[in-house]
Amino acid sequence: MSTPLLSVENLAISTIQDPRVLINDVTFEIYEGEAVGVVGESGSGKTLTALSVLGLLPRGVGVTQGSIKYNGIDLNAISSEEMRKIRGSEISMVYQDPMTALNPVMKLGKQLREVIESHEKADSSTDQRVRDALLEVGIPDVARAMESYPHEFSGGMRQRVMIAMALILSPKLLIADEPTTALDVTIQQQILALVSEERHKRNMSMLWITHDLGVVANLVDRLIVMYAGRIVESGTVKEIFTNPQHPYTYGLLSSLPTTADKDRKRLTSIAGVPQKPWLVGQSCAFAPRCFKAAPECSSTIPQLVGTLEKSVSCFHPIEANI
Amino acid sequence: MSLNIEKVEKQYKILATGTLINALNGISISLENGQTLGIVGESGCGKSTLARVISGLEKPTVGKITWEGGEIADKAKNHLRPLRSRVQLVFQDPYSSLDPRQQIGAAISEVLTVHKLVPRNQVTARVEELLSIVGLTSDLKNRYPHQLSGGQRQRVSIARALASEPDLLILDEPVSALDVSVRAEVMNLLIDLRAKYGLTYIFISHDLAMVRYVSDVIAVMYLGKIVEFGSWDQIIERPFHPYTRALIAAMPDHSIIGNPETLSKTLQGEVPDPAHLPTGCAFHARCPISVPECSIRVPLLLEISPKHYVACPEVSE
Repeated sequence: MSTPLLSVENLAISTIQDPRVLINDVTFEIYEGEAVGVVGESGSGKTLTALSVLGLLPRGVGVTQGSIKYNGIDLNAISSEEMRKIRGSEISMVYQDPMTALNPVMKLGKQLREVIESHEKADSSTDQRVRDALLEVGIPDVARAMESYPHEFSGGMRQRVMIAMALILSPKLLIADEPTTALDVTIQQQILALVSEERHKRNMSMLWITHDLGVVANLVDRLIVMYAGRIVESGTVKEIFTNPQHPYTYGLLSSLPTTADKDRKRLTSIAGVPQKPWLVGQSCAFAPRCFKAAPECSSTIPQLVGTLEKSVSCFHPIEANI
Repeated sequence: MSLNIEKVEKQYKILATGTLINALNGISISLENGQTLGIVGESGCGKSTLARVISGLEKPTVGKITWEGGEIADKAKNHLRPLRSRVQLVFQDPYSSLDPRQQIGAAISEVLTVHKLVPRNQVTARVEELLSIVGLTSDLKNRYPHQLSGGQRQRVSIARALASEPDLLILDEPVSALDVSVRAEVMNLLIDLRAKYGLTYIFISHDLAMVRYVSDVIAVMYLGKIVEFGSWDQIIERPFHPYTRALIAAMPDHSIIGNPETLSKTLQGEVPDPAHLPTGCAFHARCPISVPECSIRVPLLLEISPKHYVACPEVSE
């Protein structure tokens, strides 16, 4: 591991008018060929983190602090023209809902061609590249698919088209925002298998956003756990799942039923609801719900400390393997 | 036996084309008082249609459903009312099942007054009691749904369902729309209520882990039919039907980690269009063990070991 492909440092995002902090002090790296998952509940800031990398933050929301470096280029400092060149060809994205991400009134073949044409000059090979891209993601009748509109496809097939579109220019980094949440479990499994195969084949890096720990357990190398706009814990999949140290991660994992639980014991729940990031102040956002909370947790913000293998931001982390 | 579903079929007609869709294709289940039946399946398998038919919201095209000997369908609407109040539904999304312009207290008291369950002067007290039963404070009764969190809203839906003191609660994906850390609380509440009031549950979900967690018996549905039925340990530990096995394999489960191989063990293809059901076994085109006859003969749901039913003649241990 040399220099990271993507390095996000002390990133803060907030609304522009009547400033409300949405994300604070987010720092992480993704190395070449590495897949990193971001886990969090609604409002934890996981989607904003992903969108900020692509320079696609919604109107009224902006980066207020920190840097996002891709291959040494500061993505905050470049022009929107330069960003457009990177987006789609170097870094691309798959969204949760292909029905809203695809153009409903444009044939799929044309939509894929557009991706190529927006970055390079189209030539006689363009159509063939579109066909190959669709074939690669397992679209059965490619010739017909190119002449079809999104509504003629099932949810799973639409998501395959989205993946084809994201991969067609061979990006180095793929960002996926819950692309399987709307799908049935067997179709979800097919999509996960497809993405996993493609990323290994291409040695592509990946940032996978999800609320479902089960989905990323066998898909990514490292995990980042977000809570109320901050990273509370990060580390290898093995470390996070077998040795969670932040009480939130620990609580989240023990609140899920698993097939390994033979006697169906009572689920451990986390009382209360997440705080809004902008209302947290100088304290640990999880303190009001935490069973290990102590006085310092409500007066000081804990910092994320540790290594790439395992980092935690907690004054009273859970001891290893209890 | 308290709930008996006998050979129920439900057809819908697409008005534009006249095509018939068989949403339910001969469902028979009996459920004893106090048991929890889990129904699992993917979209289009008919699990929500079954919920609507059992609750009496829709009439089955063929077959009958009896609850404590009384038939739920086939009755004039007015006669249904006392029976219906004993069967209640909780929907997936409390944000759309609660009226956004109605205060929480009014949403619950409406049930009490429509069914004339308590005298007028006791309505407020009963509303507060119901809120406390589901773990909410009584000051929430003046709030509107948007002022509550997702978990609180689903608790209100449960309080509303409990208002008529039902015996049978049909829970259609009750925790799917909730954040992960809130799900466990609502699940625990449902389990506590079941014990406290001796409720019978029908728990419908696409999430096998949740279904397994609450159910005594589980029915696996595929395209309007039950393909496997048995106790939770039979279904999870010794599944027979290839579709049940595939569902279990596809279930995102964090008890197995860091093994990309688990992703590749998956079903090919997609669920066929219910308007054009395949001949024979509806699962045959995706089935890893299908033989040519599967596209001709319709498999029967047979008891392969005590109280374990499987609709697949090809499967063995």
